[in-house]
Amino acid sequence: MGYFNKTQRDPLELVTIIPDEKPHIFIKKDSVCIKECENKPCTFYCPSRVYYWEDDSIKVLYERCIECGACPYGCPYDNIAWQFPGGGFGVVY
Amino acid sequence: MGNDRYNAVVVGAGPAGVTAALSMAKNNLSVALIERGKYPGCKNMTGGTIASMPFSQILPEYWKIKDIPLERRIVSDELWLLDNDSAVRMGFTGKKFGMAPYNKHTVLRYKFDRWYADQAIKAGAKLFCSSLAVDLVYHKTGPLAKKVDGVILEGGDVIHADVVILAEGAQAALTQKAGLRKRLKPNEMTLYVKEVLELPAERIEDRFNLERGEGASIGMIGFPTSPGIGKGGIWTNKDSLSVIVGGYLNQISGKGLNPLGLLERFKGHPLVKRLIEGAKPIKYMGHIIPKGGFKKIPTLVDDGIIVVGDAAEMISGRRGMDLAMITGQFAAESVAQACALDRYSRDILASYEERVKGSFFYQNMKKGKSTEAYFNKHQDSDFLITKAMNDFGYKYFEQNLDSDKSNLLKMLEELINMQPLSKSAKDVLFGLQNWGVL
Repeated sequence: MGYFNKTQRDPLELVTIIPDEKPHIFIKKDSVCIKECENKPCTFYCPSRVYYWEDDSIKVLYERCIECGACPYGCPYDNIAWQFPGGGFGVVY
Repeated sequence: MGNDRYNAVVVGAGPAGVTAALSMAKNNLSVALIERGKYPGCKNMTGGTIASMPFSQILPEYWKIKDIPLERRIVSDELWLLDNDSAVRMGFTGKKFGMAPYNKHTVLRYKFDRWYADQAIKAGAKLFCSSLAVDLVYHKTGPLAKKVDGVILEGGDVIHADVVILAEGAQAALTQKAGLRKRLKPNEMTLYVKEVLELPAERIEDRFNLERGEGASIGMIGFPTSPGIGKGGIWTNKDSLSVIVGGYLNQISGKGLNPLGLLERFKGHPLVKRLIEGAKPIKYMGHIIPKGGFKKIPTLVDDGIIVVGDAAEMISGRRGMDLAMITGQFAAESVAQACALDRYSRDILASYEERVKGSFFYQNMKKGKSTEAYFNKHQDSDFLITKAMNDFGYKYFEQNLDSDKSNLLKMLEELINMQPLSKSAKDVLFGLQNWGVL
């Protein structure tokens, strides 16, 4: 089976999230994303599409996070710092 | 809350934490249960089922308890090797599993965890929701020695306790901070996404060949996450279906797979589509499962602290929630002993570690280690086994115009063309072991 595209469906249409006021996800060094990371896997392995690539840097929409826990481990350059959002915030299934 | 002191504080109100809290509260210990979500279960995901035998040890005849949000009693368990338009199916249906004491019940965690936490509250545990524990508090016990003595909440409040039980789940922030757990590699965890789809109970029963209240689960390998190793699955709930897809994170990341894309593709498979036809998606969720296995089991106890459940990477094959409950129970027993002695050092709490090491699942995890190493080396095994078995199926069941002997030779030839026979044999053996068939 060959390569297939990301689905166009919005992953968050069925999800309730109460975003914290302050972000809980950070890119450690923007330069790593630009210079070292060729494929930007965070833009596809993230199940709720928190990350996207624009104007030479990864943008982080922390408000979209469903706290699956994958991103800090999936980044091949260990360049994502992730922590829990504040108590009572974030995803509510 | 600032100056409160408890016998134990439990971080995380999932199956592990609630079991620990419930059991300790029943033993008349004072317990604080800390949950970062608005309510227990609101951030949690399972396939999935709870296993009756372990859960009955905690709450005997739990299925009789009022308002318990059980979905269906599982009588039918199948594993499908799924290819593009075909499937080799293995399975078992047993009517006995549909009668008390049952075997497994499907649950939805956003209902079940909340109910379960209520049982701990009724037993006397104090639940604090919307509370994020950000650090541990230490107490000096000697010139060079210290013990964990509570947790600091976001905002600065401190909850003191003789013992802290970390039941904080897969991410395990505090367990790592305490130096008890090493960082996992992406090939040591799986990432799953799930959709819950509403479908009337009668249609579920018709479609899955069930009597009223009975349930089925189908695990599928091959197509769902091809070309990586992973699994798709369908579980029947009361009036909804749980559909999951996921696999090893290194493969999802490395092979350019998008979890939601995998889910959509899986739902569109001709043999899956007919099972979920007309069902309306109502929830979408995702979570990692720590799969570090035996070699990555964290340090389970230290002075004043115990780690349980997913935080302790207590995962063996398909089993996780029941191991969470059992380790929660073990921890509660050890804390009760420690409280009776009024000593909370590592050597006293080590009785927890001994209980874990003496358990059936520890043996299983030990046995599972070689399978994991194999899959890390041979990422295509699932896909190849599935492909070969389905080709075999098509050939075997085809009513053609050749002699049996020439058919057999053709089948062998195709198998040999795919890869060396010895490798195929190994793939099948390790694959079946990995998926819990052997």
